[in-house]
Formats: sequence, C-alpha cells, structure tokens
Amino acid sequence: MNNKLRQNIYRSARSTSLYIVVTGVAMMLIFPMFFLFTTSLMSDYENYQEWPKPLLPSRTVDFRLVPLEEKDGEEAYGLQVYNFAEGDFIPYGPVSNSRSKSSLRKLNNFIYNNFNCRTSTEEILLWMDETDAKGSHSFTLKKGILNNYNRFFRLYSGALTSVLASISTALFTILISLSIGGMAGYAFARYVFKGKNILKLSVLFVRMFPPVAIALPMVITLGKIGLYDKPVGLSLIYSINQISLSIWITASIFMGIPESLEEAALIFGTSKIGAFFRVTLPLAVPGLAACAMYSFIYSWNEVINALILTQFNPTLPVVVYRSLLGANAQVHLIAAGSVAQALPAIIFTLFIRRYILQMWGGVKV
Amino acid sequence: MAVLELNDLAKRYNRKVWGVRKMDLEVEDREFIVFLGPSGCGKTTCMRMIAGLEETTRGSINLEGRDITDLPPRDRNISMVFQNYAIWPHMTVFDNIAFSLKLKKMPKEDIRKTVEEVAGMVKIEQLLTRFPGQMSGGQQQRVALARALAVKPKLFLMDEPLSNLDAKLRVVMRTELKAIHQKTGATSIFVTHDQSEAMSMADRIVIMKDGEIIQVGTPEDVYFRSADMFVAGFIGTPPTNFFPVSIRKENDRGYLEHSDFNCPLGSEELGLVSKGGREELVLGIRPEDFKLAAPRKGILNAEVLVVEPQGSHQILAVELAGNIVKIIVSPDQKLAPGDPVSFDFDYKHLHFFDKDSEKRIS
Repeated sequence: MNNKLRQNIYRSARSTSLYIVVTGVAMMLIFPMFFLFTTSLMSDYENYQEWPKPLLPSRTVDFRLVPLEEKDGEEAYGLQVYNFAEGDFIPYGPVSNSRSKSSLRKLNNFIYNNFNCRTSTEEILLWMDETDAKGSHSFTLKKGILNNYNRFFRLYSGALTSVLASISTALFTILISLSIGGMAGYAFARYVFKGKNILKLSVLFVRMFPPVAIALPMVITLGKIGLYDKPVGLSLIYSINQISLSIWITASIFMGIPESLEEAALIFGTSKIGAFFRVTLPLAVPGLAACAMYSFIYSWNEVINALILTQFNPTLPVVVYRSLLGANAQVHLIAAGSVAQALPAIIFTLFIRRYILQMWGGVKV
Repeated sequence: MAVLELNDLAKRYNRKVWGVRKMDLEVEDREFIVFLGPSGCGKTTCMRMIAGLEETTRGSINLEGRDITDLPPRDRNISMVFQNYAIWPHMTVFDNIAFSLKLKKMPKEDIRKTVEEVAGMVKIEQLLTRFPGQMSGGQQQRVALARALAVKPKLFLMDEPLSNLDAKLRVVMRTELKAIHQKTGATSIFVTHDQSEAMSMADRIVIMKDGEIIQVGTPEDVYFRSADMFVAGFIGTPPTNFFPVSIRKENDRGYLEHSDFNCPLGSEELGLVSKGGREELVLGIRPEDFKLAAPRKGILNAEVLVVEPQGSHQILAVELAGNIVKIIVSPDQKLAPGDPVSFDFDYKHLHFFDKDSEKRIS
C-alpha cells in the first residue's frame, strides 16, 4: 500500500513537472504572438498612457467632460479619461476645448486617433450642453476594434497596392517553382540517370548564397531584362530558392506513389503522359498543394530580396518593415500591419497541416 | 497454332547485368503457363517485357502473328495483375474496373454490364462503390483481377498475384483463379516462385534460372522427368534427395555404390547409366519414392533423426554421410528418433543425373 502511494506520488510529480515545462515552452512561443495581436487591437492611449499595460484591449472607453475657466470670453471644457491604472479620471488631450469649429474638429480627431472611438462634432456639442447643465458629463464610447488595421493601410503609402503586389508575386512564385520543380522532382523520383544524386544535392547549393551578397548582380540583371521593381522579377528570384525546395518535396511525394500504379495505367490504356495526369497527379495533389503553400508562405514573408529588388512597387513585408522605421513609431499600427501580414501565412499553414505528412512520402493506399 | 511466341528474347540492364539471357517459348491458345524460378531468375523481367513495361535488349515478341516487341503496352491487347495489386486508391472499385473501358469509349450501359459481369466472376459485386483504402488485401486482389478481366484480353499476365495474401487465402484464390481461367479461356502467363502454386495451376511450367529456361513441360514432366538437378531440387516438398554414387559392375550385375548403401540395378538401367564409360553419377530419389522395408533387409539402413508429422503423411529425416535425407512414410508407422529404419527404392522413379553437367541421363 505504502509502495503504491509512493508510486502514485512519483507519477503525479513527474507529470506535473512535465506539464510545467511544456506550459513554459508554450508560453514562450505563444506570448509574443499574443502580445503582437492584442497590441494591434489597442488604442494609442492604452499602449502609451496606461501602465501597467492592459493584457486585453478594452471594448469601451469612459470619458468625462468638465467645465474649465472661460478663456478669451468663450466657454472652455476639459476632457478626462478613466485610467484603469490610476483608478480615476485624469485629464488627457487638448488642454482646453471651446465650441469653436476648429476646436471641435481637433477634439474629434484626437478621440479617434488616441482612443479608436468614432464620434462627431455635433455629438461633442451635445456633451458640452450636458456639461453646462449638470456641472460635468460622463459618457462611454465604443471602440472600433479594427481601427488600427484601417489606419495602417491608409497611413502608410502603398500599403494597399503592396498587398496586390505580394499576392501576384506569390502566385508567380508558385507557378514557376511548382511547374519546374515538380517536373524535376518527378524525374528524380522515377528515372535513373548519371549524376542523379550529385544533381539532386547541388540544386540546394543555390539556397546557400546570402541574397545581400549577390544583390548588385541581381538588381542589374533584373534591370536589364526590364523586370526590376516588378512582381514577376521578384518571383523569379524567389523561384531560384523555391525550385530547389520544390524538387525535394515533390520528389518525395512522387516516390511515395508506387510506380506500379502508373504501369497499371499504361497497361489499361493510357500513354505515359496520360498515366501521369490520370493517376499520379490526382494522387499527388494534396502534397503538391502543400508544396505550393510553402512557396506562398516564403514569398509572402520574404523581406530582404524584396527590399533590394523593389522601389515604388514594394510588397507588404517591405511596407511593414518601412513602417517600423517611421519617425513617429506608432506601435499599435505597426502591430496591425504585422498581424495583417502574418495572418494569411498562419491560415495557410493551418490549412496544409493535413497534407504535410504526405509531403514527406507515403500515399495512403 | 501458337498465340504467343518469344524469339531469342533477352534483357540486359545497364549493359552489364543480364535480366534475361535467352528466352524461346511458344504458348498455345487457352494455355495456362507458369513461369517458375527462384527470385532473380528473370521471370518477372520476362513478363514485363511481354507487357511492354520493359524494353527488350534483343529478340522479338509475337502475339497472334503480330510483332508487338516495340508497341506501347496499351496497344498489345494484354492485361496484367500486379504483385502489389496496383489498384488506384483515388478511384472507386467501379472506376478502377471501368478505367480501360472508359478509355476505349465504350457506351456507358456496356461498361456497367461488363463491370458487373467481371465483378460477379470474382465475387465483389457489393464492393463496387467502395474505395480501395477501405478493403482488405484479398478484396483488393479481387479488384485487380476484375480490372484485368474486364479488358477481355488476348493474353492475361499475372505477376506473383498471390504472394501478398496470407497462406490460407492463397490456396483459395489459386482454385478460383484456375476456375476463372477455365471459364474465360484466356491465354495466361502466371509468374511465381512457389512451386506448389505452379504445380497446381499450370498447364505447362516454364522453369527458369539465371535468366534462362531450364525446362518447359507439364507439371508431371517437370516432376517425374526433371531435366536436371536444379529442377529436381526445386520442384516438390521436401525436395529430391541427391546421392553421389559410383557405378560398379560385378558378374553382369550393376550396382550404384554409395558410402552407406549399395543399390543394385537392372540391366536396362545399367546400360543407360554406364553409356559412354561413365563411372560416377548423382542419384536422385524423391522423398515419397522410398519404401519402408523390414529392419536390416532394405537397401538403405539408417537411424531416424527427426520425425515431422504432417497428418496425411509423416516426414522422416535421417543422416547419411553428413547429409540430411528426407523421406515420406505413411502416418501408420510409429517411429521415434533413434529407431533403426530400412528402405527399398521405387525403381520406376529413380532419377539419374550426370555428375558434371547435372543434366538428366536419358
């Protein structure tokens, strides 16, 4: 009995410590993503004025308008915001606001830019009337959760067109690398020829050049063939990298499809090409899709080459990168840009998860 | 008239390794031919050349008088069952069977009829809408068979189709395959390394070794008149027992002298074996051609080493001159290891082989 108890304690201690370690590692991986994501949903005020910084973005903001001493013969009002860290309303924003048009617009923009809340000058006038009547007026505004994203794409020039550039670059990359890499992969999987192993290994060599080291020749070459600063040109460069990876991935996919399936197709009435399209290709599609997604993710996320090879037609990662360099670093906007950049890649990764197994060989027959 | 003719067919890989050295064969209409041999003997290579999956290095293949040596597989009027079934996992059973018919642009109604007919023949009617992934090995094998039958080919090739099935199912399928062959009457070539499979199914067996044909003949031919020691040792379980013996003549009587026994010969046999002044040869005796004699009265005397009961018979192993000799006796004899036993030989079924060429002396 005693022995059994000891065994139980030992076992639960072991699993507990395992879970602690696993949780720790998971936290290390998850927390930066969580931080980036919540930051992208927070307002300027939450990010810069609240300390400690809230873990989750708030849905609403509580304001109070208080009367101030008259200034230049006009009624003046002060804006106060509820600060969770202080536990009280504290004055924030323009020192004094009057009923003049320019002052109202200024306040309206201030609320939008700092709190991500949309209001109007008419509404502000109403609050001012309430303040006059009651001595002070408290009100709550709803936050526009996706405001940062909206503002990122409007604030940073070319952000919207850069999405298009990114998409077309990615599509071209998939097209080039999958067609050429797929054909080469099929050859590697099915045929025996001299120097096969050396060739298969050497296609990986091109991946070893740091892009910065060959930046100048790349720019000059692309410029000469008129593809500099164009998605096609960029995708050509990406394809150099991706073809070699595609070759390895597709070769293992095709190796996983038994040759006898093709031979059976030959016997039962197809030509060699027919056997490929009727039997091998349908079986390889999940793996090829996963391979295409790899190309997509690479091309979607790549910065260094894109930075070198584009100028007026940047891809989205370049825009995000440039936004980091801005004089007025607005962390929540940059976070919004980063999340917008990362989201498609994450979604596609989740999508291909099912197919990754096939990519490394083995069709379920 | 021969349906299939192989003339001087050969295959060499990479200009070095011979897959098939030389094949000359004529296959009659409706015949069931089995290619039999140990692994690496070229039987599968030969079949793949007939199917068109492998290029020939030399020689020609004629099917119904037409030279098909360089035709693509689909134009050869053949069909094939693969060892690993090779049914397409992304198609239903129906689509698998109908594949070739659709490519031939057969009307839909005819396709359905044909598929149902062949599915009935191999008993998979209720599986037509299923995918291969949800089926057992035996069922997949039946689908592969149905697919091959649907073509109604002139020549039906089977590449070790039963070797991936479990032992019991293999025997069942053997019978079914033979029944199907009798029903369809398609000329068939069957590749196997299992001699009992070959014996039970074949009209004629082609025994191959190192890329060459050793013997072509009916199961009786290869069993009772094995062309050489390889065939005699390959066909039959347990295999033939070989004894190196020398010929001794004494007063017009001949003996085969072994270190452990003396086998008297009739004059006819003596004349046969001593032709050309031969003095030594190899005597081959199948395990069932020993006859149990009264103790110390037979030709061969030994002690039982091991008894292997098989139900219908029992296999005795005795040791003679350092070699194990296997003998089949009826199950009625109660024998235990260490018992002295004595045997006579069945003279009708003695096999004599030349010592050097290992060929049958006849």
